[in-house]
Parts: sequence; structure tokens; C-alpha cells
Amino acid sequence: MDSSFKSTTLISIFLLFFCNAIPSIAFGSSSTATTMHTNNWAVLVCTSRFWFNYRHMANTLSLYRTVKRLGIPDERIILMLADDMACNARNKYPAQVFNNENHRLNLYGDNVEVDYRGYEVTVENFLRVLTGRHETAVPRSKRLLSDEGSHILLYMTGHGGDEFLKFQDSEELQSHDLADAVKQMKEKRRFKELLIMVDTCQASTLFSQLQSPGVLAIGSSMKGENSYSHHLDSDVGVSVVDRFTFYTLAFFERLNMYDNASLSSLFNSYNSNLLMSTAYYRTDLYGRLLEEVPVTNFFGSVMETIHTDSPYRAFSVKYSKSKAEISLDQSDEVEQRRLKISDVPQELIDSNITDKHATCPVTRIWNAILGRIEMMKELDSLVNYGLILMFLIVTGSSWFSS
Amino acid sequence: MEKTRSKTNEKKLGFWKWAIASVIFRLILIYFPQNLNLSSRPEVSTPVTSLRRLAEGYWLKQLSMSPYAGSMYHGSPLLLSVLGPLTAIKIEGQPNHLLCSLVSVIADFICALLIRATGRILQTARGLNLKFLGLDTMLEDIEIMPSGDIAALVYLWNPFTIFTCVGFNTSPVENLFVVLSLYGASAGIVPLAAFGWVIASHLSLYPVVLVIPVILLLGYCPDTPPRKLFLQRDLQKTGAEGSTKNHVQHRPLTNKPTEATFFWWRVILFFMWASIWIAYVLILCAISVKEYGGLPEMFKRTYGFILTVKDLSPNIGVLWYFFAEVFDFFRNFFLIVFHVNILFMILPLAIRLNHRPCFLAFVYLAISSMLKSYPSVGDSALYLGLMALFVNELAEMQFSFFLFCGYVGVSLLSPVMHNLWIWRGTGNANFYYATAMVYACFQIILVVESVNAMLNHDRKIRKLCTTTEG
Repeated sequence: MDSSFKSTTLISIFLLFFCNAIPSIAFGSSSTATTMHTNNWAVLVCTSRFWFNYRHMANTLSLYRTVKRLGIPDERIILMLADDMACNARNKYPAQVFNNENHRLNLYGDNVEVDYRGYEVTVENFLRVLTGRHETAVPRSKRLLSDEGSHILLYMTGHGGDEFLKFQDSEELQSHDLADAVKQMKEKRRFKELLIMVDTCQASTLFSQLQSPGVLAIGSSMKGENSYSHHLDSDVGVSVVDRFTFYTLAFFERLNMYDNASLSSLFNSYNSNLLMSTAYYRTDLYGRLLEEVPVTNFFGSVMETIHTDSPYRAFSVKYSKSKAEISLDQSDEVEQRRLKISDVPQELIDSNITDKHATCPVTRIWNAILGRIEMMKELDSLVNYGLILMFLIVTGSSWFSS
Repeated sequence: MEKTRSKTNEKKLGFWKWAIASVIFRLILIYFPQNLNLSSRPEVSTPVTSLRRLAEGYWLKQLSMSPYAGSMYHGSPLLLSVLGPLTAIKIEGQPNHLLCSLVSVIADFICALLIRATGRILQTARGLNLKFLGLDTMLEDIEIMPSGDIAALVYLWNPFTIFTCVGFNTSPVENLFVVLSLYGASAGIVPLAAFGWVIASHLSLYPVVLVIPVILLLGYCPDTPPRKLFLQRDLQKTGAEGSTKNHVQHRPLTNKPTEATFFWWRVILFFMWASIWIAYVLILCAISVKEYGGLPEMFKRTYGFILTVKDLSPNIGVLWYFFAEVFDFFRNFFLIVFHVNILFMILPLAIRLNHRPCFLAFVYLAISSMLKSYPSVGDSALYLGLMALFVNELAEMQFSFFLFCGYVGVSLLSPVMHNLWIWRGTGNANFYYATAMVYACFQIILVVESVNAMLNHDRKIRKLCTTTEG
């Protein structure tokens, strides 16, 4: 009895291991090696309300401006601002937000598209954006429509603490919640690589619970450290930027779309003396070497364009053919996989036809005729010949009958 | 007799003069800039006949997409193969779609010739029937008009036909096949009749009701007075004279035996040819749309579209306004009501008018063009042309002037109301639908009065028969 009980428990434990191993093997098989990086998304979140948190708004808007400048379009940026500083009654410069006391740059110029504003920035909405579980009425501009080839930049700023981030001064996002959301995203294949950048106090505790592969995270301070603002703008009356974001922007202002500065150069540019905190980053979940990853993989969007000579090449694909004639150098696997998925109905239909193949001789003959006709590439000319033959038969028969 | 013959000779020369003049007139109109914008008018082009939609369907097919994608084209794939390449060809310095307009002109011309031939057959049959009934005097007393020529000229010079021809439609082609089937049936050419009927109902669904007049034309002979008059005549002749001499005398003149026999073998031959043509057309269509969903998809998009009235853009019919207003729950019910209205008329009219199958065809065409889902002036052109085949019988039709004025009035007011509603915004849909309803009323009066006149004509013949006997 005892030995049998032991053996059953051992067997059940092994089974549990296998059950846990299979999804991770599945993860491994669907890892970043097989999919191709096709697009970039940015989710920029400012979680603080009230006028004295002006700098968090300026942080987010500065990063929004940078990311747009380096190429990510508004359709692929989700900007969440918890309060409106530009049109705040206490703003001496209405409709203008600055991140420097020299007021050189108006971050709130033309062309700012805020997706979640004011009280819409809640933990629930944030998690819904990440996981994609929206109600049906939510418009597309408020959804993170990423896929398995996306690189996502997730930037969060506000007030935080040990394993939490404060939203709107009334609720919290915990590190477990964030880790769960990222895990769901990985399950649903909503990203290929994810860069989490957090600028709050004790920022690196926020991503301490992450376990999903393909995630790179950097925080402005470690546990027990505060993140500090950079300088006070005496004209506006509040601090206008945080240190971590200020030095990040200083790094990016030197860049344009086509520079290939690597992530390691970005991460190494942070000087803990200047930041007055330790910028801690976590690469254990991220498979690649930071020296090989250009910053535009996350912060910009450099699309690969393929030059074709003839127009309308896409239209030469017929439904019956299963291979696309569009030639993309690196994306053959992804394209073929996508095309195969879309061709499954066609194959099902074909298999139905072949199933009937055995049953009825009439359908067999019909399928043989169809097969032979398919070999004649020009169906249109066949139809034309048929029409001409029809008219000849009509004239002949009516001649004979009259 | 000589007077009438010379008159017919004169009319004959007149016919060719007028026919060629009408063709030249059409060609002149084609060269007007942008065809006077007739192709965009709802009275002229409908979702099922518009050539612009056919061009779109052809372009989609060239891009290896289904021609029915996007719900633009709703016609037959065979028409697409024939007319499609013509829409794509552009000749330098000539107006657009010149070849399609030429096809319409040729179709109109051939249609007119076929109407003329049908009219001739009807006229000889009529002459022979009256002679057989002993009503030869009727031929000499009343001036007999060459109904074939008149009908062909009416068809060619009807403004409706001209608008349809110039306005980028497939209606001339559809009308051609309808008239082809009627001609084939009256001339007794069974394969031609079957071919015309199959293609006409393939192109637009409604000529399928013409199977009954075609069968009656093939089974009996073209329009006769009521058959019991022949039986009475026959009995009366054998009774009074008691000899077969008159029979022998009469038999070479008449092509049919004295009893009203029904040529079953011709009808069976018709069904055989019809099934051959149906199979042929279906096979060609199946090959044509094989890659785009096959025949069920084609049926759904062509006949399904016609029957379920998906497109509610305004036209001169009565369905669009109704379906814009009715609840979705009752939509199927009203669809059935409208279409069954056409079907209900078939049987009673067939029973009452079975001795006059050509006239029966005209009545069916008039009713179906009134109640069909997407009518246009092309349908009116067809039945008005066919009505002129019966000028001799319908000479005493009541309200003819009223109807003529009504038609002219409606065809002038209806575009005005459309303009007021759509372009100026000072009217609304009720204005336009009112003219559509008035048009339907006039068509109803036309049908009713013409049937009335035809039946009165039959009664008159019967009265003359009985008076000459006694």
C-alpha cells in the first residue's frame, strides 16, 4: 500500500512537471527565434494627478515626442495621461508643457494624440490595454493591437514604492499584477520583445516579479532609493522633469531615425551620481545581448521597405494558389505560415472534394473534368469558345428547323 | 385588296427609311458628350442592368477576384465575358464605351427586325383565320395596318428605347433575347425559342414566366380568335353543305387542321432543347465562376439579389420605398407578396387568353415590368413595342389618349421630382414615389384596358360569325 501510494504520488508529480513543462516548451518553440520583428508599439503611461506632478506629465510627453520623432506613428502609440497640465488653470502658459526651464521645446504643440485621459487612466484600463481584454465598444485607437512580431515599449512614470505604482492617488498597480499581465501577453503572443522603463521611486521593484521571456526592464532606482526631479522651473512654478527621463532624453536628442546606437550604450549612459539613484536593469529574461540591439528596436520604428518594379503584384495571387508571389527576404516563414492559415479553408474544401472522390462515379468524372480544365490555364477563353459554340449551335439548329 | 397591298408596299419602303433614320439618330446621340448623362439616371440604369457595374465586375475579374465582390455587379458571368472586354477597350478620340453603345444599337435594330417578322407571322395567321371563319369581308372593310412594321417602328422610335440604348445598359440585349424567343415560338423554330427563353431568363429572372406563352405558341399556332368559333364553323359547314369539298378547299389555305389540336411533340421538343440550353449555360457559368464560390454563389448574387431586393436605391418601381419603410420582421412576407403577385396573374390570364399567346406574352411582360424589383424604362420600351403588334385588335381601346398623356406626363415629372428630392433638397422621397405610383397606375390601366379591348375584339368576331351564319 505504502509503496503503491508513493509510486502514484511520484507519477502524479511527474505528470504535473510535464504539464508545466509542455507550455514552457511551447513557449520555447514559439520563442523569438521563429517570429520576425514587424512593428513597434509604445505604451506611455503617466499615472499622477494634480498640478505639482507636472513633471510626470512632462516626462511622458517628452518620451512621446521622442518616440514619434524616431518613427512610431500615433496609431501605434497608446498615450495615457492622468491629468491635463496643459490646460490646467494654474498653468501660466496655457496649452504649453515644457520639460526644461529654457522653454525651448513645447511638448504639447500640435499633433498630440492622447488615448486615455484624466480619469480613464485606471489600473483596470491599463491592464485591459496590456492584455487586450476590452469591451466591444472600445475603439481601435484605444487598443494595443500588437501581434507576435511586435516590440513594445512600456514606459511608466508617477509615484511608486516597493512593488507598487500609484495610479491617480487612489489605487495601486502591484508588481504581481504587472507580471501577470505580461504573462498573459506572452501567452496570447502579443509581443515579441517588451522593454519596460519605469521612472518612479523604488522603480526596479515593480518588475521584480516578471518571469516571461523576451522582457527587458529598466527602472530609475532600486529598492530603498528615491528618484528625484531634475530641476525646478521658477516660471511655471513646479519641477518640470525627472532626472532619469532627463538623461534618457539627453541621450535621444543626439539621435535620429537611422542611428544604430545600442541599448547597452543607453543603459550605460546613466550616471548614478547625476541621477542620484541607481538605474537598475534586468536582462535575465531577455535573450539577446544588449550591444546588438539598436535602440530604434523599441524607441523608433524603422520599417523595411521592399522595392518592386511592377504595381499590382499583390493582385496576381489567385485564391486557388497557396503560394504568394510577393517576395520578402526575411519574412518567408511568417508569410507562409500566415498564408497557410488563410489557406486552410481552401484545403478543407479540396479535402472534401477528395473525400467525395471515392463515393460517386459521377462526381469522380466531374472532378476529373474539373482537374483537366484546371490544367487549361485560360478559363476565360474556354468560356468564350463555349459561347461561340452555343451561337453556332443555335443558328445551325434554327436553320434546320425552319 | 390591291389598295391595301399598295399601302403595305408603301409602308414597307417607309419602314426601312425610318429604321435607318432611327439608327443614325442613335449614333448621333452616342457622340454627344458623356451620353447626356443618361447612364446615371435611375430610370434608365438599375443595379442589375447598369453597364458601369458590368465594367466594375469585369475589372474585378481581371484582378482575379470574384466579379460579385463588393456587391456591384449582379448579372450573368457570360454577359461579363461578352461585354466585359468591350467596356475595357478605349479608342482614341471616340467617346467612352463606344463599342458597348454600338452593341446596344445593333441589338435594338435586330430586335426591331424580329418584332417586324413576328408581326408579319401574326398578320398572315390573322388573315388566314379570318378567311377560314368566312369573315373575308372584314379584311376588305376595315383598313388593316401592317402591325409588324408599325410595331418595329414604334419600338425603334420610342423615346424609352432610345434612352435605354444610349444610356449604357444591358436592357437592349435582354429585350433582344425575349423577342427572339417570341419570334422563334411564333415561327415554329423550336431550338431558337428555347434558346431565347433560357438566355432571357438567365440574364434577368422575370422572363421565366414567358414559358407559358411560348409553349402555347408552339403548341397551338400564333394568335387566333377563340377556338370554339372554329369548331362551330366546322360543324356549321359540315352541317349546311354536307360535303367535304369545302374542307379540301380550305385545307391548303390553312396550315392547321380544323380541330384545335395541341402539338405535343413540339412542346416536348421545346422542353428537350430548353434542358440542353439550361445545362449548357449552367456548365459555362460553373466554369466561369468556379474559383469564386461556384454556382451557389452565382445564384445567390444574381437571382438572390433580384429576389431579395438588397439594393434600395430609388427607381421607377414600387418596391424600394416600401422596403425602406417596412420592419425587418415583415420583410420576407412583403417580398413574397410582391413576387407572388406576378405569379398569381399567370394562371387566370393563361386560361382566359390561351388562344392569343403573343398577347399573353405582352400582358405578362407588362405585369412583370411593373412589379419587378428593379424596373427601368427599358422594360416599358419592350412591352410598348409588343403592344403595337396588336394595333388592329386594340384599335378601339378605351382611354388610349389618356394613357398616352399619362405616360408623357409621368416621364416628364418623374425626373423633376427626383431632382427636387436628391439634388435640390426641396422635395423628399414621397414626391418621387408618388410619380412611381402614378406610373404603376397607368401601367395597370394599360394592361386592363388592352385585355378588355382584346376580349371585345373577340366578342365582335364571334358576333360577326354568328350573324354571317344566320
